[in-house]
Amino acid sequence: MEIQLLKERQFDVYKEKGVKYSMETVAPKVLDMAQRKGAELAEVFLLDSQKLTIEVASQKVENLKLSEERGFGLRVISQQRLGYAYSSDLSEKALIKTVERAIYNSRLVAEDSAWDVATLGKSYPVLDLYDEEIIRKTVEEKISLAQEVEKTALASDSRVRQVEKAVYQDSSYRISLYNTRGLVCSYQGSYCGLYGVVIGQEGEDAQTGFSMNFSLKYKELNPTKVGLEAAEKAVRMLGAKSMPSAKLPVVFEPYVMTGILEVLQTAFSGKAVIKGTSFLAGKEGKKVASPLVRIIDHGALPGQVGSSPFDSEGVPTGETVLVQDGELLGFLHNLYTASKLGVVSTGNAVRSSFKSTPEVGATNFYFDKGTVSREELIGEIKRGLYVTEVMGLHTANPISGDFSLGASGLLIENGELTTPVKGVAIAGNLQGLLLGIDAVADDLTFYVGQGAPTVRVQGLMISGK
Amino acid sequence: MEKKEISEILKKALNSGADFAELFWEQKESSSISCEENRIERINSGIDEGVGIRVIAGENTSYAYSNDLSFSRLLEVAEIAAKGARKSQEVLEIKEFQTPPSLLKLEIKKPPHEIEIEEKVQSVLTVNEAARGVDNRIRQVTVNYSDARQKVTIANTDGVFVEDLRTRTRLSVHAVAAEGDLVQTGFQSLGGSVGFELLEENDVIELAKTAAQRAILMLSAKPAPSGKMPVVLTGKAGGTMVHEACGHGLEADLVQKGLSVYAGRIGQEVASPLITVVDDGLLKGKFGTSCYDDEGTPCRKNVLIRDGVLENYMYDLKTAKRDQVSSTGNGRRESYKSRPIPRMRNTYIAPGKTDPEKIIKDTKEGLLVMAMGGGQVNTLNGDYVFDVAEAYLIKDGEAIYPVRGATLTGNGPETLRLVDIVGNDLGFTIGICGKEGQGVPVSDAQPTMVVRELIVGGTGGDSTTQGKTIRRL
Repeated sequence: MEIQLLKERQFDVYKEKGVKYSMETVAPKVLDMAQRKGAELAEVFLLDSQKLTIEVASQKVENLKLSEERGFGLRVISQQRLGYAYSSDLSEKALIKTVERAIYNSRLVAEDSAWDVATLGKSYPVLDLYDEEIIRKTVEEKISLAQEVEKTALASDSRVRQVEKAVYQDSSYRISLYNTRGLVCSYQGSYCGLYGVVIGQEGEDAQTGFSMNFSLKYKELNPTKVGLEAAEKAVRMLGAKSMPSAKLPVVFEPYVMTGILEVLQTAFSGKAVIKGTSFLAGKEGKKVASPLVRIIDHGALPGQVGSSPFDSEGVPTGETVLVQDGELLGFLHNLYTASKLGVVSTGNAVRSSFKSTPEVGATNFYFDKGTVSREELIGEIKRGLYVTEVMGLHTANPISGDFSLGASGLLIENGELTTPVKGVAIAGNLQGLLLGIDAVADDLTFYVGQGAPTVRVQGLMISGK
Repeated sequence: MEKKEISEILKKALNSGADFAELFWEQKESSSISCEENRIERINSGIDEGVGIRVIAGENTSYAYSNDLSFSRLLEVAEIAAKGARKSQEVLEIKEFQTPPSLLKLEIKKPPHEIEIEEKVQSVLTVNEAARGVDNRIRQVTVNYSDARQKVTIANTDGVFVEDLRTRTRLSVHAVAAEGDLVQTGFQSLGGSVGFELLEENDVIELAKTAAQRAILMLSAKPAPSGKMPVVLTGKAGGTMVHEACGHGLEADLVQKGLSVYAGRIGQEVASPLITVVDDGLLKGKFGTSCYDDEGTPCRKNVLIRDGVLENYMYDLKTAKRDQVSSTGNGRRESYKSRPIPRMRNTYIAPGKTDPEKIIKDTKEGLLVMAMGGGQVNTLNGDYVFDVAEAYLIKDGEAIYPVRGATLTGNGPETLRLVDIVGNDLGFTIGICGKEGQGVPVSDAQPTMVVRELIVGGTGGDSTTQGKTIRRL
């Protein structure tokens, strides 16, 4: 295969009626139209991206996907009302229609003086986000990385029955922001990654194991590690059984803790504070977690996939410490929530695509590491549960903090991981969980811009047979 | 794009000796309104248009998409996709285009794009007021309205040519109630393959009240018990259980890869004889309904499990070819950005004979589930979990008090074997089902039924010691 898609296509260029234009020319045109139609303020967000996904099964390429996507989103503020519209079509006709729609949509939205667009930042963090190598490497070489994940997993243990998926993925993109306050900024980024889903089997029992490795740098990809880890996770769960209900100390693996942290994110959003839907609202300066807890959002963290020089409103990114020594220091904000609460934006305006308005969201969101080793942390437990997988995290309630999750993992007996456990549920409340943390390990691990170390919680209700 | 151009693009895609090529052209117009804090906060609308080209050679699929729709660019995209899936030197001919007849005629009474935004906004505000009016402990109400009009053209080298227009409308209400430090939520939603008539033909005021009342009710609920116990799932509770416990495991891609507990079990008993599971793409107005699937196959009604015996899986074109059967009309994709895979549409357990009220009256003790939330399944071993949004502890046929914070955990085939009684009612709920990162609209339902035992994961400790445990807050 000699696919060189990324070279075949010119970045940032579109054609209309046979004439080539730079995508960047769209923005000033749209801003001008919006102002002429009565918008006091306007902002254009441009996205141009391409993505490659390769799925390997039985050493053959089962699925290969190449994609390119681009479009723009327009925000207008007219008489303190916000309107939004988007289009993937960049033709003159579509630009006019989008401007008209945005203004039309704004008419019925409630007036609010807090809406604004950003002014040019004093300085933006300098980040190394673009790796030429990701673009330069051939598709064959990328296929071989996914094949390596599969090979390693299959060879690592005789109980590995099959590799459900061995995947290579990369993406490169360009994001630009223009607004009528004179802001013009753009950056180019790329990332790549590998993941594997492995199936272990012994007799009738089958279990799944998962591992991933996403990075800004092509050379940091490690297919052997992904294959071995996914295989180990599948095999160690073989023979898992339910256990009797009990209240026990629970240890969360970094991957599981990261998932829990993701649910917590919502409670740290300035928007949730305004809406009265965060259980942390009004608790600034108060103790909301065990003194061992430090939670950070850092949009300019070197080497992390969640980093960018500015957020999706054009505000420079940076570090925001949310919880220090268990004390709540603040929340995440975009321009709107910051203005509402009389603080400054933390650079946390996030858009999932050009189709969505900039909402408050996390960048690189992580639970800082502690000082003990994972082994020490487990070694102190007489009887407990080491949780390696939870199901139904998306059903946890970020407003009340209540959660009840399906869980599987390994039993801890006299400081050692012993037999695998499945088919139990763990229930509690996020506030209680944060306060109940009594040990944090030094093994902070990131999973695509989010991370956590191994964490131990005093006593949680485990429901079993 | 003309048929002639489409066929040229397909020809290009077959060029390097593949077995099959397909073009999926989508134009999607969406609009959404969001009300929070007693006011309209956001109105968003836009158009997303693009073309996806799929090429299959043997077991190898290649997919490329673009939202640059110029003919010259699409020829390039077709060539890229072709290179990704190469097989032989022999180049196949494209069959002449024909349109298979649809088994359904969808009538959209009020196409949403013809309704003024003022009218939509008015409905949203009315719903908001209804929810807020329920109780002064309602602290926040979010109402989300959205509609979408999706025009697709699907053409493939086997001669299928289909044009389809899908309209979907959805309304959801999320209420937050608070008392002191305690915060609880309630959620209700409504949606279908219909236009704006959705809001007129359904009692949206009632919907709003139900969501708000649930949030209020949960303020006084006690922590759910934990441990194994009998569970009554009422017909109103929705179909999350059938969706997770068996739906996903009956999708042919997972079956063929050996990733489903139901693999190789056609003709075998996999559930209690009281259980019949159906996936029906033709149910008028339901959220998962359409005339054609995203590969141009007419949708149909498929019985998957009949009286406890596994009868069929859900197929798309690729998996159907492999099993030498025809597609069941379940090839679906989120958008032009994704390749189609087997997915559910409207999935339900068929109603039985027993009066639901009698079922509850005859239950000595256990958990009575009135509303389910989201769920998740590991199809490999059938283990699943789903969230309970409203439930009561039941004793001697009476609901004694509401409980909160419960999750039900079980194993799909095991749960379906443990169903003892099936009621004669049926209630649908809607959802967006996620698989391989693609979300598609579905609905699911089940009658009132009794599962002999499920693991209830609450914080309230053993059900016999209920009331003695203190909830940590």
